[in-house]
Amino acid sequence: MATLTLSHITKRFGRNVVAVKDFSLEVQDREFLVLLGPSGCGKTTTLRMIAGLEEVTSGTIEIDGVDVTDLPPRRRDVSMVFQNYAVWPHMTVYENIAYALKLKRMDKQTIDRIVRESTAMTKIDELLDRYPSQLSGGQQQRVAVARAIAVKPKLFLLDEPLSNLDAKLRVATRTELKAIHDKTEATTVFVTHDQAEAMSLADRIVIMKDGEVVQIGSPDDVYHRSVDMFVGDFIGTPPTNFMDVELTVDGGESRLVSPHFDYPLDPETASKLKDYEKKELVLGVRPENIVLVPEEDAVLSAECLVSEPQGSHQIIAIELGDKIVKIVAPAYPKIGAGETVHLTFKRDTLCFFDEESGSRICE
Amino acid sequence: MTERRQVNIAKSARTTVFYIFVIGIAAIILLPVYFIISLSFLSTREAYTYPLPLVPALNTHFELRHGERGYLLSVYDRVEGGYESVLDTKDSKKMSEYMRYQLATPVTTEDLEQQFAKLESQDVVRFSRRRNLLENYQSFFRVSGYKAVPALIRSLQICALTIAISLSVGGMAGYAFARYTFRGKNLLKFSTLFVRMFPGVAIAIPMIKILVGLQFYDRPIGLSLVYSIGNIALTVWITASIFMGIPESLEEAAQVFGATKARAFLRITLPLALPGLAAAAMYSFLGAWNETVSAIILTQFNPTFSVIVYQTVLGAVGQVNLAAAGGMAMALPTVIFTFFIRRYIQQMWGGITI
Repeated sequence: MATLTLSHITKRFGRNVVAVKDFSLEVQDREFLVLLGPSGCGKTTTLRMIAGLEEVTSGTIEIDGVDVTDLPPRRRDVSMVFQNYAVWPHMTVYENIAYALKLKRMDKQTIDRIVRESTAMTKIDELLDRYPSQLSGGQQQRVAVARAIAVKPKLFLLDEPLSNLDAKLRVATRTELKAIHDKTEATTVFVTHDQAEAMSLADRIVIMKDGEVVQIGSPDDVYHRSVDMFVGDFIGTPPTNFMDVELTVDGGESRLVSPHFDYPLDPETASKLKDYEKKELVLGVRPENIVLVPEEDAVLSAECLVSEPQGSHQIIAIELGDKIVKIVAPAYPKIGAGETVHLTFKRDTLCFFDEESGSRICE
Repeated sequence: MTERRQVNIAKSARTTVFYIFVIGIAAIILLPVYFIISLSFLSTREAYTYPLPLVPALNTHFELRHGERGYLLSVYDRVEGGYESVLDTKDSKKMSEYMRYQLATPVTTEDLEQQFAKLESQDVVRFSRRRNLLENYQSFFRVSGYKAVPALIRSLQICALTIAISLSVGGMAGYAFARYTFRGKNLLKFSTLFVRMFPGVAIAIPMIKILVGLQFYDRPIGLSLVYSIGNIALTVWITASIFMGIPESLEEAAQVFGATKARAFLRITLPLALPGLAAAAMYSFLGAWNETVSAIILTQFNPTFSVIVYQTVLGAVGQVNLAAAGGMAMALPTVIFTFFIRRYIQQMWGGITI
């Protein structure tokens, strides 16, 4: 159980490549923190620096208030699950876990007890004599997790541990990982590029792009209060819909005007946006915040391009200009391609972004 | 139905052709090997009969009569199916030596005297004696003036040294090529092969000069250094590809769980690389064991085994069986070593593919 503090971490490869840039973060005791971002954003490099597998160019890393920046991995008291599991192929499942414990100089009885405990927790206690080559990908992944929790580390680091599993197993294992975290209460840093995984596991999500932190917040924060268009687009399936609009003030009334619709704003929102009068804005609306309404209440009407039934709901795609806008609608009534849909936006759910910088306006 | 029958016929035709092909290739490879093995056990007389016997005789059948000069010795010829006279002498020592060297059958002079005595009462004496199958091998070591045994030991020393040098230097370089990126890496990796472009004979004089300067001339260490130069290049390439095949994360995992870099290498990467290292060791061994040209040039009073075999084969004119025994003595250690190391190459932990 421990806290982790990263202060102004920078990592350069060679002279020109900056993998991580001025990264600062505090991870609380028992927190489940997820580093999320597209590939090449520096999230794995950050994790490897925490583990000590990558040297830090500048900045400091502290675990429980102790500066570990220049310590080798073995003296940091962390454990790690690798993307390719890194289960040692010449050792049985039992030996894999026992060897990790042996490196901590434990005696044989203790090792045996802990191996049995941790394998029971990960449900691989019947595979102890198998070699990794005789296991499926999912089972190997469990061995890696069992090995990592067996050593009872201060910090539990996971580098895309689910990305090599098939979709169904990934979701099931995700749930189990969360249960294991609740049981062990280890401070956890989890790296992934899968936003659904991040949303379902994290206490807090750190969204990274090009080596820099874009937003740190709870799953609700990053979803509903995306700090910029990148986050709005990266989080959520389907992602946020972005539409170019212009703010016009006519007398006391503010309106959002686009070639496709004309939406009256409530005074409160309008006052927040008053600096952007007559300027181009980007309106961001989550797909579930565009709702089907009777024709007379509609802000915009459009022809349904494609509808994707999902069982519990359906995803309707419409075309506004050259942009595809996706709407999450109730499963019934079924809407077919070519049908005209009448839509409006839910109040208080609209986000606005600066067209140039892409960052969020107001709030 | 006819369609299925046609498919079956085509299938068995393919199988038949395949096996004819395989057996053909096996015969091409195995027959010469068989001939040299069988030749190495034949007696000198057998080796020059026509057609050549496929297997050596286990016993030699003799016939003695009174001859013009003393006693006439005849030997049973398996091919002709009768006795053929070979020697006429009354000197039992001369006859015994002939039996030993030409017929590979040890018969003592006392034994011969007894047979001679029997001729007093009868016209013909026939008797059989057991062949000494290893006669050629014994005489190979005898002919080379007992230089063969120290040369064999020397050759083994050279092989061990060559393996040690090329595996440690080449293995470390291979690991570096596999794990690290640095400027000029590819050029450097290719340049390790450049040393193999020079034939040993072409650079023999400077090599002798350098080895004399190092006081390594005519010593096993000198030859093993020369052999290592070429072998290091091969070892670098073999081990680099082996280390590349072992994920770095295996080692990193060990480091995270508490191992030092060195321990992680020794406990995780090295055992996994063992089959590759064994293959590299095998190449080094074969290269060092079989090399003759440089060994002739770079040794004077302390030749290697291959040099001894070379000299014996050259000197064994009219004794092709002796040359075959020398060749076999040369080939046997490599066969044994390859067979021994084959286990490591095939060793796959529970059928694991890394």
